[in-house]
Amino acid sequence: MRKFKFISIIDDDPITIFGIKKLLSCVVDCDSIEAYKDGKIAFDTFRKKFEHDEDIPEVIFLDINMPIMDGWQFLEEFIKLPIKKRIRINIVTSSIDPFDKEKWSYFKDSTHHVITYNNKPINREEIAEMTKEA
Amino acid sequence: MLKDLKIQSTSYLIKQLPTLTVFVDTDFNIIHASDNWLFTFGEKSTSTIGDSLFSVFSELNSKWKKVLMGCFEGKCSPIGIQKYTDISNQVKWYKWSNTCWYDENENIIGAIIQMNDVTDAVENERELRKTKVQLKQHSEISKTGRWEYDIEKDEITWCDTTKAIHEVPSSFVPRLDTSIQFYKEGYSRNAISMAVFEGQEKGRAWSLKLQIITATGKEKWVLATGKPYYEKGKLIGFTGTFQDIDEQVLANNEIKKSEKLLRTLIDNLPLNVYVKDINSKKILVNKAECIYLGAKNESELIGKDNFDIYDIETAKKFTEQDMKVMSDLVPILGEEMVSIDKKGVETTFLTSKIPLLDERGRANGLIGISVDITSIKQKEKELRNLIDVTSLQNKKIINFAHIVSHNLRSHSANFSMLLDFLRHENDEDEKQKILGMLNNASGNLLETIENLNEVLAINTNINVEKKVINLFEKLKSVEKNLANVIFENQAQIESDFHLDQTIKTVPAYLESILMNFITNGIKYKHPERKPVISLSLEKGKLVSILTIKDNGLGIDLMKYGNKLFGMYKTFHAHENARGMGLYITKNQVEAMGGKIEVESNVGVGTTFKIFFNEEI
Repeated sequence: MRKFKFISIIDDDPITIFGIKKLLSCVVDCDSIEAYKDGKIAFDTFRKKFEHDEDIPEVIFLDINMPIMDGWQFLEEFIKLPIKKRIRINIVTSSIDPFDKEKWSYFKDSTHHVITYNNKPINREEIAEMTKEA
Repeated sequence: MLKDLKIQSTSYLIKQLPTLTVFVDTDFNIIHASDNWLFTFGEKSTSTIGDSLFSVFSELNSKWKKVLMGCFEGKCSPIGIQKYTDISNQVKWYKWSNTCWYDENENIIGAIIQMNDVTDAVENERELRKTKVQLKQHSEISKTGRWEYDIEKDEITWCDTTKAIHEVPSSFVPRLDTSIQFYKEGYSRNAISMAVFEGQEKGRAWSLKLQIITATGKEKWVLATGKPYYEKGKLIGFTGTFQDIDEQVLANNEIKKSEKLLRTLIDNLPLNVYVKDINSKKILVNKAECIYLGAKNESELIGKDNFDIYDIETAKKFTEQDMKVMSDLVPILGEEMVSIDKKGVETTFLTSKIPLLDERGRANGLIGISVDITSIKQKEKELRNLIDVTSLQNKKIINFAHIVSHNLRSHSANFSMLLDFLRHENDEDEKQKILGMLNNASGNLLETIENLNEVLAINTNINVEKKVINLFEKLKSVEKNLANVIFENQAQIESDFHLDQTIKTVPAYLESILMNFITNGIKYKHPERKPVISLSLEKGKLVSILTIKDNGLGIDLMKYGNKLFGMYKTFHAHENARGMGLYITKNQVEAMGGKIEVESNVGVGTTFKIFFNEEI
């Protein structure tokens, strides 16, 4: 079982958060799993952590449709942070809008972080895939 | 001696003759001459008694010689006029008369020649002849003949031209009655008969355009004039002219016909047509232009310029344009122009302005042709609006479809995930927890479907019946409903509504709007101050604007503006889900023909302006 220090989930739906946490518990060993209900809270937290040289999550599960700052806006800001480490960002959405897929491919190509696109619901095998080393 | 004396005395007598008289012998030598003769002719030739007549009149021709020789033989032929150029090179004319010169024995010894200065007469005659020729010419060219009527003799005379106009031979002898018979029966004959009668009775002159039928049966227009003339106060006759004006009249009629055709054409064109002079003043307008400008007839508009018709700005613009067309000679073709008349009525025209050129190629005016396309423009605008509305609807439908699909998918994903957990879960407590979540998920799904139904209902205009609502009372009732929230947050609601302030709206929508914005303002209050929400209304005839201002957190509209109303496509029933509220509000306002505008400053507050369409 792979060992993680810090994994975060950015989603405004408590059921999804519950699900991801539950699935994670079966495939990884993680010290801390934190959830944020919108992109802004998550980004502000990560930036602060980065500025204070604290741990930032190694894997991020990211929803797209959220209030305040959505998944795309979060990505836009996040990839601007000069984080050297490769972070794995898994987009988890119920959207099948082709426009969202295009956006994903744009972000994927403009950062050194690993970004994957996954449709809900996700299962154990997928979660295992999403927690491989970036 | 006696004879000599006699001769001498004769000679002396002749000398004194006042006439220009000369006596020549059969050899044409001058024997006697009056002093006058010598004075007149001798000076130049310095000839004197005894010289040959031909030394004085060197140019005398052989015909003359023959006549004089005839005279010597006793035959006195009539003599003509001889030209003489005097010493000062002036041409003079002399009429020569001669007679035989007999001696006492009745023998012809020569000829007596008397010369009369007829220069004036000759010149007068020549002048007269010239005048006559000219008159004839003039009469032929202008086809103007003359006629005269002598009352006493009851005699009418026609000149050759008059006869030619009547197409009768020059031998034709007219009479007064036959003259009148030439006029075409009906108006022409009646008119001339009347004119002649009135001329005789009242001495009135006439000038009439009438028709005659010529001797060859041709119809002709003539201008017949007549004038009585008097002698010692007594009317003795008439004289007048007779002019063939057939070509003129026919040409005139042709012109009138084409003018009429042109006029009918331009008056019945569904276009405004006008002609302007160099000063941009109208010199011709057609019926359509008269109707457009509200004029009863053309004369009301003739001589008017743009400033007499249009509002000052339009007039300036049009006059500039007119001048440019006339100076550059470049026509304006089918250009769209908006004119505003003195009453402020706006009309859109498709206008062409074409310079009118004189024979030297310079513009002396312009022709304007315009089509009123106001109604077409209006239709175009309506059509464009319709297209805009349609494409907006389309976007909304696509947006809505995405919302539906996304919402249903996210719920079904949750169901399938939770069910999967349940299947693999052995721990009883955990099972209960998952079941509870499934319950929640099902509740969320139901609520989502209800919300979607509501949005659909708004957009399909179900229950959209506008009523005049008392805004003050409505606000009070909303405040009552929100009393708990207001109290808990120590919020303050202010408004400038009058007690009888009304607004035309759908009652349920107004309630939802007030509820949503007030709740919103309280929910996003600034942590350091108590929420104050102020409402005001700007009542208009067409649109009323309800302003709802809060002193909350404010939103960075640059970043999140697009998410405010439509952005947050997932509807969850959690505490922070405000997406649904504003999305529904926006749909409600738009369904009533209004719109929402937002202004916000981060840390200061947000102002929403809700536009209510009071018309429909």
